[in-house]
Amino acid sequence: METSREDIGILIRSALLKKGTRQRFSLIVLIICSFILIYIDTFEAKPLSYVRSVLKDTIYRGSAVVSLPSNGLRQITGGVKEHLELFDKYKKLEKENNELKEKIIDPDYLLFENELLKKLIQDQVYSSSYLVSARVLLDKQSPYLNSFIINSGSNKNIKNGMAVLDGKNFVGRTVDVNFFSSRILLVTDLNSKIPVIIEPSGHHAILSGTGTKEPVLDFLPKEHTLKLGNKVYTSGKAGIFSPGIPIGEVNKIDNKEISISLFTDISQITFINVNLQKERD
Amino acid sequence: MVISIKHAKFKFFQVIPLFLLFYISLNGSSTLDFKLFTINLHYILVYFWILRRPEVLGYGFIFFSGIITDVMFGLPLGVTALTLLIIAAVATYVRVVTVRVGLISDWLGFIPALILASLIYFISLYFSGYTIDYLYLIMNSLFTFTFYPLLWALFTFLLNLMR
Repeated sequence: METSREDIGILIRSALLKKGTRQRFSLIVLIICSFILIYIDTFEAKPLSYVRSVLKDTIYRGSAVVSLPSNGLRQITGGVKEHLELFDKYKKLEKENNELKEKIIDPDYLLFENELLKKLIQDQVYSSSYLVSARVLLDKQSPYLNSFIINSGSNKNIKNGMAVLDGKNFVGRTVDVNFFSSRILLVTDLNSKIPVIIEPSGHHAILSGTGTKEPVLDFLPKEHTLKLGNKVYTSGKAGIFSPGIPIGEVNKIDNKEISISLFTDISQITFINVNLQKERD
Repeated sequence: MVISIKHAKFKFFQVIPLFLLFYISLNGSSTLDFKLFTINLHYILVYFWILRRPEVLGYGFIFFSGIITDVMFGLPLGVTALTLLIIAAVATYVRVVTVRVGLISDWLGFIPALILASLIYFISLYFSGYTIDYLYLIMNSLFTFTFYPLLWALFTFLLNLMR
């Protein structure tokens, strides 16, 4: 019995402590380093943030270079596929165009009405000077985090928690800002919780990501009157984001959950706008 | 001359696993997503090569590759590095205790490696305040285990080319 315990001890020692063939570090030292790194990562000190920023910027740029061949291949296959589908698309667009022509009404009145309503809810009609445009640098969908990397960071006054828009539609917020890059946590991610308002009922709720393309509404009043097609906007509650940024519309209502289809197809984003309003305020 | 060509060929094939290790980290493709299922290529790569030819992948390289994956996936720094090192530790242990080398013994040894790695992953992310899809994590581990023989065959082929 004593011998077998000794054997196991020797085995573990040789597996973990010895450096082994041509190994410069022992496993146990690196495992301890990993634990220390995880612990240090929870601290928010300026020198640490600086080091993290440099490390992440370097890795993102390196990744962009490494991904060039696979991105190029994807673009070529995408281009070929698009060309093959061109005729069908043309037919579909022609049909859509005819339908829209039939439905067309004078938009001036609607624009005027929209302005009036915005003033009524004291919406801050943000000017384009509050927006910083950026390009999506990396769109590697992490299995655990729905996010992407953009090519602007604190060099463009971007800070954590700012709203990110695709055109005028809300797609997520900044969560990890470096000097020349930032990570955008998409509204579909499990960690995303956005205070929203639903029109026309005016109910407040929290839009929670589910990891799928369709986030769900939480904390709605029990007696809500939501219907399919109701629009969802940021509520501006708690001063996190500007109010009235369009997000999506209700597309499924059942007993368990109400899911939202986003106005933006998040898999097709190339350029985004970061709303700097939070910082200016 | 013949010796130097053989040596160059050996060196070339020896670099492939290391290149693959860093490529999948930097390219963000350590988890292969096939819509219906996902496989963690990183785990299989580290486990196989530490088990069969530890000098090809240094522990330090595995650590740095894990750090890169953490940055790419937006996870707390050190989490993937730690799980990969746990996989490497189990592989080292299996190598020390195994007398006969074969697919079945490798495959069976992969079970505790995956369980430990997933557990460490779960605990690290839980305490770092990250919400993840736990079902995804379990399914990923299951399919990584299921598809191990396929990659085992591929890597064994590469291993034979090194000889």
